Amino acid sequence: MTSVPPTHDNRRAGSLDGLTVQVRLPLDRFELNIDLHTEKHVTGIFGVSGAGKTSLLETICGVRRQARGMIALGEETWLDSDRGVFVKPSQRHIGYVPQDGLLFPHKDVRHNLLAGRKRGVRRGHPVRQTFETVVHILELGPLLERSVHALSGGERQRVALGRALCSGPRLLLLDEPFASLDVALRRKLLPFLRRVRAEFQIPMLFVSHDPLEVQALCDDLIVLRDGMIISHGDPRAVLTASHIFPLAEQHGFENILPCYAVEGGGSTGQVRLGEGGDAERAPVELVTLRSEAQPGEALLAGIPAHDIMLATQRPEGLSARNVLLARITQLRSAGPVELATAELSPHLPPLTVEVTEKSFVELGLRVGSEVFLVIKATSCRLYRMGESRRT
Amino acid sequence: MSSEVLSVILLTLQVATVSTLVVLLPATVLGYVLARYEFPGKNVLSALVGLPLVLPPTAVGFLLLRLFAVDGPLGRETLGFDLNILLTWKGAVIATATMSLPLVARTAKATFEGINPRLELMAHTLGHGRLATFFQYSLPMARRGLLGAVILGFTRAMGEFGATITIAGNIPGQTQTIASAIFSAQQVGAQARADFFMLVAIVLGFLAILSAELLGHSRALPGLARP
Repeated sequence: MTSVPPTHDNRRAGSLDGLTVQVRLPLDRFELNIDLHTEKHVTGIFGVSGAGKTSLLETICGVRRQARGMIALGEETWLDSDRGVFVKPSQRHIGYVPQDGLLFPHKDVRHNLLAGRKRGVRRGHPVRQTFETVVHILELGPLLERSVHALSGGERQRVALGRALCSGPRLLLLDEPFASLDVALRRKLLPFLRRVRAEFQIPMLFVSHDPLEVQALCDDLIVLRDGMIISHGDPRAVLTASHIFPLAEQHGFENILPCYAVEGGGSTGQVRLGEGGDAERAPVELVTLRSEAQPGEALLAGIPAHDIMLATQRPEGLSARNVLLARITQLRSAGPVELATAELSPHLPPLTVEVTEKSFVELGLRVGSEVFLVIKATSCRLYRMGESRRT
Repeated sequence: MSSEVLSVILLTLQVATVSTLVVLLPATVLGYVLARYEFPGKNVLSALVGLPLVLPPTAVGFLLLRLFAVDGPLGRETLGFDLNILLTWKGAVIATATMSLPLVARTAKATFEGINPRLELMAHTLGHGRLATFFQYSLPMARRGLLGAVILGFTRAMGEFGATITIAGNIPGQTQTIASAIFSAQQVGAQARADFFMLVAIVLGFLAILSAELLGHSRALPGLARP
């Protein structure tokens, strides 16, 4: 997926509209009480179910009319209860992608995609062009004339995403768009979201409780609990903070690192961490299981925090294929485990490692210690993004 | 077939068709409002709409008769002119419409209740206002159920007897429908005539129900609308 039709005015680099949301909304068990300002491209919303994530998106859409407070995107104010401003959902120029797709059963795929066409045209949005781009990057061409009843789960969600984009939105809200799909399928759909992100310079809010999705897509992350933001910042830092880390416990936290495939040897695969550039001066390579990836192909490597061992001396006589020298930059406890942040190189994102308190004490770990990270090749997951190496 | 017999059948179809057309819009709107909105008195309205279903049809007919009687609220003395309802085919339309409205409205309500309201919210977020959403999304998504409701209302109108005979009478060539023709024929012992109209009623009713059944299973329907 390298050639894309000419891009359009969505791509005004660096001119993202800031989103401000200061709202209160009484819910069943608690009050949604949000104070958020972000100017990042993709802001993740993380939290256990029932934390108020969907209510927050519905408030931004304008379908929760009881909400009080202020919502503004750039120069446009959608809600200002003090001044009696309430812009109807139909006038907010929001593209909403729900968990269950909500495709219109009386329209085929093409007309579902074009359902928001009139609004786009009213705004002076080049709908025709966007339609072509969307069909291209979401690979919807073969589906256009199909009835929505004949679509698989993954296809439905791609159509829902495309429909939102074709309405020429100023803001995209993604409410766990892949939550209803199994993990293998979710991984296959991730590249589509990465393409949308690369192609459309539209601010997005992305609800997810999958650490991989969050790290692969988000520039900014908020965590909700009982209707409040309990953490906000860089996704990796937020996810590995003491009080947030246990929330990902269901699947466990997975370190996600950009990398690209290099020539591997025989039965194993090999990747070089980083995206080129500075990381090239002191390359760090990782042995993985053999993959389909072509040399040079950009990938994401996933290493679960509980699958990394720490050693204070270079271990020998070990089956693990990767022994990497790193420096500990941070130590903290998160519930029953201790977390160590280890830096392989100043040019690479740090790795978070889970150890028990006992090992932590016995090894005498402290900030600044040099350690060896021991990682089995079978613990390194590779995620293909359908992207060629960036240069 | 004598022209008199034919006129009974044609009048029956005419009354049922006009009555269905009259009922369609208010019943659809009522069904939608009852399915989608919460408001004070909603239960009372719902009960009132359903009332003709449980009342003796003659009671409904008599109520209409009082309404349109010369000295009634819609009679000549009150209005100052004559609406010409009593003992005319228009009276029959009003009677059958009153009797089939609850059936159509309730079926429409159930149909709209079966459509995920979040689909309508989705249409809103895509830039469609309330009216556009109703006409371009709610109605087309409901059309299968609404067609069924229309067929049900039409058959109810064709078979209506009690209310119709009370307000419109049973005048051969003017207000006599299949239902009242069978009744008259049986009263005077005209067995062959009663048999004939009975058969006509069975065939028409069967065709209507059959088409509703076919509609219910039709796979072609969801793809019918091409905007």
